[in-house]
Parts: sequence; C-alpha cells; structure tokens
Amino acid sequence: MGAVSAGNARLLVIAGLLVLWEIGARLFGDPLFICPPSAVVLALGPLFSDPKVVHAVAITVFEMVVAFAVAVGFGLTVGLAVGLQGFTKGAIMPVILLLYAIPQTTILPLFVLGFGIGPEAKIAFGVSQGIFPVIVSTVAGVANLPSSLVTAARSMGASRLQVLQTVVLPHMVPCFFTGMRLGMTAVLLGVLIAELYVSTAGLGYYTRHFAQSFSPPNLFALIAVLAAIAVTLNELCRIAERRFSRWHQA
Amino acid sequence: MIRIEGVGHAFGEAGNPRRVVALESTTFEVARGELLCLIGPSGCGKSTLLNVIGGLATPSTGRVTIDGQAVKGPSPQKVAFVFQDNTLFPWRTVIDNVKLGMVYQGVPKSEHDDRARESLQAVGLMEFADHYPAQLSGGMKQRAQLARALGLRTEILLMDEPFAALDEQTRMVLGEDLSVLLAKTGKTIVFVTHSLVEAVFLADRVAVLTARPGKIKTIINVDEGHPRKSDFMTSPKLGALRNELYELLHDEIRKTVR
Amino acid sequence: MKLAQRLVQLGILIAVLAAWYALTLPGRVNPILLPPPGPVFHDFGVLLTTRSIWPDLLVTIYEWVVAFAVGAAAGCIVGYLVSLTPYTVRVLDPLLAGFYSVPAILLFPLYLLFFGLGPASKIAIGMTIAFFPVALNTIAGLGLVNRGYVTAARSMGASELQLFSTVMLPAALPVVLTGFRLGGIIAFMTILGCEMISSLSGLGHRIVELGENMEPTQMFANIIFAVLLAVAINVGVSFAEARGQRWAR
Repeated sequence: MGAVSAGNARLLVIAGLLVLWEIGARLFGDPLFICPPSAVVLALGPLFSDPKVVHAVAITVFEMVVAFAVAVGFGLTVGLAVGLQGFTKGAIMPVILLLYAIPQTTILPLFVLGFGIGPEAKIAFGVSQGIFPVIVSTVAGVANLPSSLVTAARSMGASRLQVLQTVVLPHMVPCFFTGMRLGMTAVLLGVLIAELYVSTAGLGYYTRHFAQSFSPPNLFALIAVLAAIAVTLNELCRIAERRFSRWHQA
Repeated sequence: MIRIEGVGHAFGEAGNPRRVVALESTTFEVARGELLCLIGPSGCGKSTLLNVIGGLATPSTGRVTIDGQAVKGPSPQKVAFVFQDNTLFPWRTVIDNVKLGMVYQGVPKSEHDDRARESLQAVGLMEFADHYPAQLSGGMKQRAQLARALGLRTEILLMDEPFAALDEQTRMVLGEDLSVLLAKTGKTIVFVTHSLVEAVFLADRVAVLTARPGKIKTIINVDEGHPRKSDFMTSPKLGALRNELYELLHDEIRKTVR
Repeated sequence: MKLAQRLVQLGILIAVLAAWYALTLPGRVNPILLPPPGPVFHDFGVLLTTRSIWPDLLVTIYEWVVAFAVGAAAGCIVGYLVSLTPYTVRVLDPLLAGFYSVPAILLFPLYLLFFGLGPASKIAIGMTIAFFPVALNTIAGLGLVNRGYVTAARSMGASELQLFSTVMLPAALPVVLTGFRLGGIIAFMTILGCEMISSLSGLGHRIVELGENMEPTQMFANIIFAVLLAVAINVGVSFAEARGQRWAR
C-alpha cells in the first residue's frame, strides 16, 4: 500500500477536511455562526489592516516571547541551583513539585488583580506556567549524570568549575531542550488563557467582540493566525531540541 | 619510582559495624618503565589500590609517593587513568575527547591538535577522529580512552581492567598493541586485571593480592622483554607462569566465593 | 540529612504563612489584593460546612464528567480506527500530534460563538482537550501489541472481539490509561479556566465573580477549595490509573 507517500497522504487528508468544511459551511452553515474557509481567507486582509488588531496580536507575541525567555532563564538557574547539590535537591524539589501540581488557572484572577490588565499579568502568568517544566527537566538532566564521567574528569585534573562547564552542562543539554519545548507549550497556553480572560483589551477584547457581533470570519481568521504563530513557535523549539540532542539519540 | 608504603583503606568509620576494610597495609614498589599487574579475587581492593596510587582516594593508613613526593590528590601531570567503564564524553568527538584532558591539564592550546593526533595515531584511531563515541565499537572506545590518557603525556598510566568489557579476541589484540606502546614510550604502567593470561602476557611483574582485606600475597617475575610477540602467548613459559598464578589465586578466590 | 531537608520544607511553609500574615497587617498590602489569612481560613471553613458552593461545584463536575466521557470515548474509537493499518498510523498519527500542538484554548472563543455562555461551550472545549491525549495514547498503546500474539490468536480461530479483549486490550491498556489520566486532568483545568474566561456558572465563574464583587476573602477561600479539588482529582485519577495498570498486568 505504498501508493501514496505518508507525507502526501497527510496533505490529502488536510485538503479533504478543508473541502468538507467549505462545502459543509456553504450548504448547512448558519452564517451567524459558521463560515467556510474561503471566507476566512478573505477576512484576513481587512482584519489585519486594522492597526489595533495587529497591535493586539503583536503584544500577545511579545508577551509569549518575553515570558518564554524569563521562564527558561529562571528555570535553568533554579534547576541548576537545586539539582547540583543533593541537599538542596531533596529539600526544595518537593516544594517545586507541589507548586507545579497546583492548577494555576485557579489563581489566574489573582494575577490580573495584582498586575493589572496589561502585559505584565500575562507575562507573569505565562512564566508561572512555563517555569516548572524547565526546572524539572534541568534537575533531571543533572541527576542522571553518570558519576564515572565526573571521576574521569577529576582524574585528569579538572577543577570544580571545569567539571561544571565541560561535563555537567553539556550532559544536561538534551534534557534542558526538552524542558524548553515543554516550557514553550506551557507558556503559550498561559499567555493565551490570560489574554482571553482579560476581555477589556487585547486579544480577549477582540475575541469577545467578534463572538458577540456574530462575525465568524473575523473570529476564525484571528484564531487561525494565532494558531499558526503558536505552531511555529512550538515547532522551532522542537527543531532546536532535535538538533541539540543529536548525540543523545546516537 | 612509585612507592606504596603501608597503604590500607577502609570504607566506614572505626566502630561502624558495617565497616569494610578493603586493603590492609600493602607495601611494594613500582620501578620506572615497568608494567606491574595487580591481580586478585573480587573485592580484594585492587581498584581501591589503584585509586589510591592515582590520588583519587585517600588511604586510611600509609601513603604513596611518586619520585619521593607524596600523592595528595589527582596528579594529572604525572598520572593518567584508563577506566573500565566508558568515560568518553558522548557529546564530543573522539579527537575533542582526547583534547579535553589537555584542557584540564593546562596544556597550551597550540599544542592540543598535534598531541591529539599523535595519540590517536599511536592507538590506530586516526580515521575516527571526528566520530562520536556512540559510533565506535567497544574496543575502539577503549583505544580512544587510551589515546586520551596518552595525550596527557604522563609518565605513569593506571589502567583499571580496561579490557574487561571486551571480547577475548579484541583483548588479545589490544594487549599486543599495549605491549608495543610500552616498548616505544617507556611509560610506567600499573594494570589491574582479572585475567590470568592477560596478566602474564603484559606484565613485567605480577602482584597477587589476597582476598579481602587485601594484602600482597606475592609478586611474580615475568622475565620477558617488551614488545611481547604473539608467540609468547602460546609459549610454555607463559603456560607455566599462568599455572603458578592459578595455584596462588585459587584458594583466595575460593575464600570470596563461598 | 532527610530530617534537615524536612525542616527546610517546614521552614518554607512557615515563612510563607508568616509573610502572608505580615503583609496583611493593617497599612501594608491592599486587602482587596491580599486578604489576611485568618478571615480566609474562616470563610473556607464556612464553605465546607454550608451548601453555598454546591450548585457551582456540581456544574463544573458535570461539565468535566460529560466532556471527559465523550472526549475519551471518541479518542479511543478514533485511536482504534487509526491503528487498523500501519499505513494509517504513519499518515494520521503525526497529523493528530500536529493538531494537538495547537493550544486548544484558541478554540474556546469559537465554542462560545457556537454554544453560548452556558455549560455546553465548556463541555465542548473539555471534549476537544480530552480527545487528543486519549487518541494518541490509544494509538501508541495498540502499537505495542505484539504482532506475533495477534497472528497466534488468529490462527487459533479467535474472533475479532476475542482478539481485542484478550490480546490487544491488556497490552494497550497501561498506555491508554495514562492517556485517560492526562486527558482527564487537562480537561478539568481547562474547563475551570474557561469558566473564568466566560461563563454563567461553575467554580471558575464563581471565583471570578467574587473577585469582581470585591469579596477577596471569599474569593481566596474558593480558590483554595478549587486547588484542593484539583489536587484531589489529580490524586484520584492517578490512583485509578495505577490500579487499572496493575489489573492489566
């Protein structure tokens, strides 16, 4: 059954779904609620010529990137600080895991109360979502370092700092990049939830507005663009992860 | 040149019921340019002894001196290790692994490449310089570890069962190569092994340790020049020495396997 | 060392509580932002003893259960269908994984448009979110089934149903159960979050409403309740997963 390659088959499936959507929406869809993909495409142009919409999307992306950078930076630092030393690891890891387990959506309103409705709240919430996978992965990466490697380095005269730089860090890189990928997914989710929650400005305003005014093409178009951005960012992380883990697979 | 004086090592404090005395007051010397094998039953402390000689462990009693200077910690300028486990760093190529030791030792950057190539040449791995450890076979990995140790240009090599994880045929080949290397470089090597034949084939002298707590039972001389040829392997002299070792070790081994 | 670590953890807990108390002393942080611990715990106690939270709680639980039941069932069925041939797996599994990588929360505004502010939109998003881990894990689990066993069973005359229940299900079950756990938990969190974004009822909505009505102590008390509920669900679902996995062995 190798008639059609897997990759092409996938494209066919996607095309098929789009065609179904197009036909279904035209024939059965109530235009107040549903619109065909062609309408979505047509709506893209006018939608994004509105500078306020562009601004809302741009701010969202900005929040995602900043939250990601902060989550990764802090996560790596905390992960290293906690994971390198047996005592700190045993003492602090359970606390971190406990915090990780708390459903953060429940404290979303507090973030907004505390930081206001501007980008700070969304960035903060995104960081609080994304930082934990990074910490956990970093600690795991440090933990499974084979002690024989450290012994070998020491036997060759490596100083503590050199061991950290040339043994611990390179070993930990694949786990760290996995954590980064998971962190990216979490940050995206966090920022988007926070944005949607604040319905008086930004993305949340527009999604509410388009839903309430029953203009599905605009809503679909906005969501499609955000989805594309999210997928791109996720994919970038995945590519980075694969590239830096090459020696791991081998 | 290496003096081991009354070295003993115990794990755990005195009075601790789970204290294990691995080594008990061993004294012997290793002459410059000789290959000394340490052989003995499991748990007799040979690896511990090697670690003490190389400064990776501090003895509970006694001390080790190299050329008169006491050993207090890892001395990469004088002593290089080759371990049984694969301790090549998997994220670096073979040649980068060889160079890493020089980085630790503080060798000037300009010399790294030449030295590394020389070492790889000596072990016959030049073609694989840019490969990653995961792409090498077991025997090749050990050659790479040897190259790394050679790159440090130390007088002394401490090898802890380096060929134990390899199949017999690879062991034989590597053993012959090691003998050739020894003849060429005149290094002092202390070699720990379980294999009787390997010990006799490689060593100038074989130190037999007793079961735990380990002591030197006796030291056998193997009067045979380096490089050892393959016909030494099949010679009656080797056979006789091997039998002698077997007699010495048999009782000790029985003591550890009840 | 264990003891010292436990002490550190205890110390952290005490420090947090102390900081909370200190920050809320008169004249410090705005009590709208951070109410003092005493009244919060009192309100929490009231919560547990009265029935005031029940209507919203039941709505949330109802949304979650329905969403999970439908989403997980759909995930199993789709997973099974995709696993029928290696070709379909090769084609569709990455496609499903790709769809999964889109933050599903983006669909919520669409569901609001279709289904309005009531529980239906929350159930819809919960279903969507629960579907993917279950489907992907079902595919993965069925992929673990040893082809050799299937051939042997077929050769002995097993019917499709027998094949499924005696060979495929036990092999795939542990992985599928993990999918259930992941789907169940993310569905709950997402439903809670979506109730906060836009809803007329439910636990999430209640929390937001209390905040908007300037009732910080009650809001905090409800938040603590929601957190404990989520933890309980987490523990319960993990326990069920472990139980099921043991049985499958």
